[in-house]
Amino acid sequence: MSESAVVNVQPSANRAGKVLRQMIVAAGPLLVLMLMVLFLWITAPAFRTPTSLLLIGLEAAAIGVVAAGQTFVILTGGIDLSVEAMVSFSGVVAAILIAGTNIAGGQIAFGIPAAAAILIALAAGTGVGLLQGLIITALNINPFIVTLGFRSILLGISLVWTRGAGINIQKDEFLSFLTGHIELGSLRIPMPLIIALILYAIVWVTLRHTKLGRYTYALGGNETAARLSGINVGMTKIIIYGISGLLASIGGILVMGRLQSGAYQNGTNMTLISVAAVVIGGTALSGGTGGIWGTLVGVFIIRVVEAGLVYLSVPSNAKEIVIGAIIVLAVALDVLRRGDIPWLRIRRKSSA
Amino acid sequence: MSQPDLKHTHSPEQPILLEMRGITIEFPGVLALDNVNFDVRRGEVHALVGENGAGKSTLMKILSGVYVRDAGEVIFKGQPVFFTTPRQAQLAGITTIYQELNQVPQLSVTENIFLGSEIERGLLVNWPEMHRQARELLAKLHLDIDPRQPLSRLGVGQQQMVEVAKALHHRADLIIMDEPTSALSLREIEDLFAIIRELKAQGVSIIYISHHLEETFEVSDRITVLRDGRHITTQPTRALNVDSLIRYMVGRDLSEKFPKEEVPRGREVLRVENLNRGDRLKDISFSAYAGEVLGIAGLVGAGRTELVRAIFGADPIDSGQFYIDGSPVTIHNPRDAIRCGIGLLTEDRKQQGLILKMSTRENITMTVLKRLTRGLFTSRRRETALAQQYIDSMAIKASSQNQLVMNLSGGTQQKVVLSKWMATEPRVLVFDEPTRGIDVGAKVEIYKLINQLARQGVAILMVSSELPEILGMSDRIMVIREGRIGGFLDRAEATEEKIMEYATGADRAVPEAASVMSE
Repeated sequence: MSESAVVNVQPSANRAGKVLRQMIVAAGPLLVLMLMVLFLWITAPAFRTPTSLLLIGLEAAAIGVVAAGQTFVILTGGIDLSVEAMVSFSGVVAAILIAGTNIAGGQIAFGIPAAAAILIALAAGTGVGLLQGLIITALNINPFIVTLGFRSILLGISLVWTRGAGINIQKDEFLSFLTGHIELGSLRIPMPLIIALILYAIVWVTLRHTKLGRYTYALGGNETAARLSGINVGMTKIIIYGISGLLASIGGILVMGRLQSGAYQNGTNMTLISVAAVVIGGTALSGGTGGIWGTLVGVFIIRVVEAGLVYLSVPSNAKEIVIGAIIVLAVALDVLRRGDIPWLRIRRKSSA
Repeated sequence: MSQPDLKHTHSPEQPILLEMRGITIEFPGVLALDNVNFDVRRGEVHALVGENGAGKSTLMKILSGVYVRDAGEVIFKGQPVFFTTPRQAQLAGITTIYQELNQVPQLSVTENIFLGSEIERGLLVNWPEMHRQARELLAKLHLDIDPRQPLSRLGVGQQQMVEVAKALHHRADLIIMDEPTSALSLREIEDLFAIIRELKAQGVSIIYISHHLEETFEVSDRITVLRDGRHITTQPTRALNVDSLIRYMVGRDLSEKFPKEEVPRGREVLRVENLNRGDRLKDISFSAYAGEVLGIAGLVGAGRTELVRAIFGADPIDSGQFYIDGSPVTIHNPRDAIRCGIGLLTEDRKQQGLILKMSTRENITMTVLKRLTRGLFTSRRRETALAQQYIDSMAIKASSQNQLVMNLSGGTQQKVVLSKWMATEPRVLVFDEPTRGIDVGAKVEIYKLINQLARQGVAILMVSSELPEILGMSDRIMVIREGRIGGFLDRAEATEEKIMEYATGADRAVPEAASVMSE
């Protein structure tokens, strides 16, 4: 321990090893995805078209956006179980405003342009997200409970406002644009996929290059140390749940636009899938480590499995079984990554 | 120490129950125990004393199977033993009563006594038998407690008695008591001592660990002193007195070098007036000056950490006023404190100071990210430059800025924490155990950095359990005892003995020191 310490200790060896390890951790899910695509490519002829790949992309878009919000929350060490209800809620709000009607045919408002309706729906979703964050922070309640409660509340509101059915809408120009395609040579790239990718880029920049992003990791890494470093932990959490609300609402608009219907079932299963995608993508459920691109890979893995079941002619009723198994597997993976299995653990001396 | 004759009634010819020979254990960078010998006779109360970090708890953890020794042997009841789990030790007849009780307050007294060893009749729990046996055990300890009531209804003292009953249930031959009186009132302490005598009479041996020296004298038959992980002496209690014991505990040569620099004391930077927090902090007032290192000494649990956390806004306070440069400031949370120019290096780096999963760079800039942000985005260029500045100036040995702090050594981690606070350009910097778990070479580097900060006019508060560190680095020493200021010492007049006197209350009449605890 001399004064003239050299800063770079064996730079090449250390760095190479570290980069390799990071690549394996980061590429793990991606590798799985590629193997799965390869498998389907070989076994299912129908899969071998750009169209089927793009279809998977379209299927991945809405849940992808939802999972992006979930990534923020899980990085802080929390969880947002309300996202599926948020998807339904924002779709219902937008649909009601666009149609200017509820399911009973009673006029509750004049129909307004889709753009305005969507903006209002997103604001509502963000507001509810912020409110959840506020409750979690101010009352110091476990996010699991708060978001579970809000899941019921939001589903209930969606049910009441739609009387349990869907509110069907006509697409105007803006909504058609959002749900349409972009022609790229012979490829028709679905707009929702493009929107999702743009949002992922924004989220990535936010996590990488803003204070908020750094605080997100800091909170998940060690909330006490973050607080003692002068980070406004409460405010950060509130904003994070607001972001999750916003992104889930955007996901809701994408679903609603595609179905041309705002219904309380729009978000079914999305909570589970979003959490699974985050975990499969390498973000620890305990928070602090992980990233947004892993989540995107996780979403695609789940969607490719679903598509694969179709191409391999597995009855659609069996889909749930496979999805469930994947989720358990993903969490097992998370536990394994942390090496936190008592019967495998080697007792170590901790320093006195 | 009222009836000194009652305590040495057993004959020294009692057979040896436990013998530990040549116990050695090394933690990363620290030789925690070095060839320590220790033995306990049947029916003996053997007190284990030493300063914080002397190795008492480590020795007991080796005995009870929490740690695995690197060398040495343990002979219990004539058999060599090697416990690797506390359960094995318990089955063999060694039970530890920890400082923080290991109990389930919601369950009944009976359930707590039999936790893990319930008596069953077929598939069902045999409640009547368990209650009967519990009552029997409690009666042995002369305790009039209904075993069916929840533990939470009992006072802390009685809860501890229940723990003793549990030890008896497990037919313990040897009970380790680690600071058993820290949460007890004077009355409860007397009850505990009565029970200890009762246990002795029944042939149970007790290893007694306490910081309260008077207690040690009152209850023990022999005393062993550990210092820096080494065995110093074992003597019959009657052959020792408080003064000689303190000398054994602290009387070391200052083998470590403290590169203290004389810095002229500047203006008052921080003033604390009448700080109160529950019964942890009582009426604390003091000032800290630019360029001065104010050492904060005291026993574990005296309230040193609570004091600095209160100043930093990490814990709420009941009352008190802070002044920075003479003007009153309000500090409700760490953000307020940082705004006032106060920084805190916590005693527990890993749990409270660092985010282990994040990089060296990210940890260094954690406190000043706001300053590095222009518009929406943090400037990576400015961040990298700032981090590199500290990595260079503090000689932080990281393979790169991106190296995760969890992979750095303890000393290097402490430098990262220090960097993060220096980046805030503090007026007052609080070090809570600045060199705990750091090897000797790195310690000196930390001391030099403390000097450098003092030279720059920062007011330093340094909490430490290592008296040589306090003596070697402080310009002035504030001793905390049981939540109050026990006294101030100037560098010139301070000695380890004086600090220990202020810290234990040995400077006052003994009865008064005891009565403080019963408040």
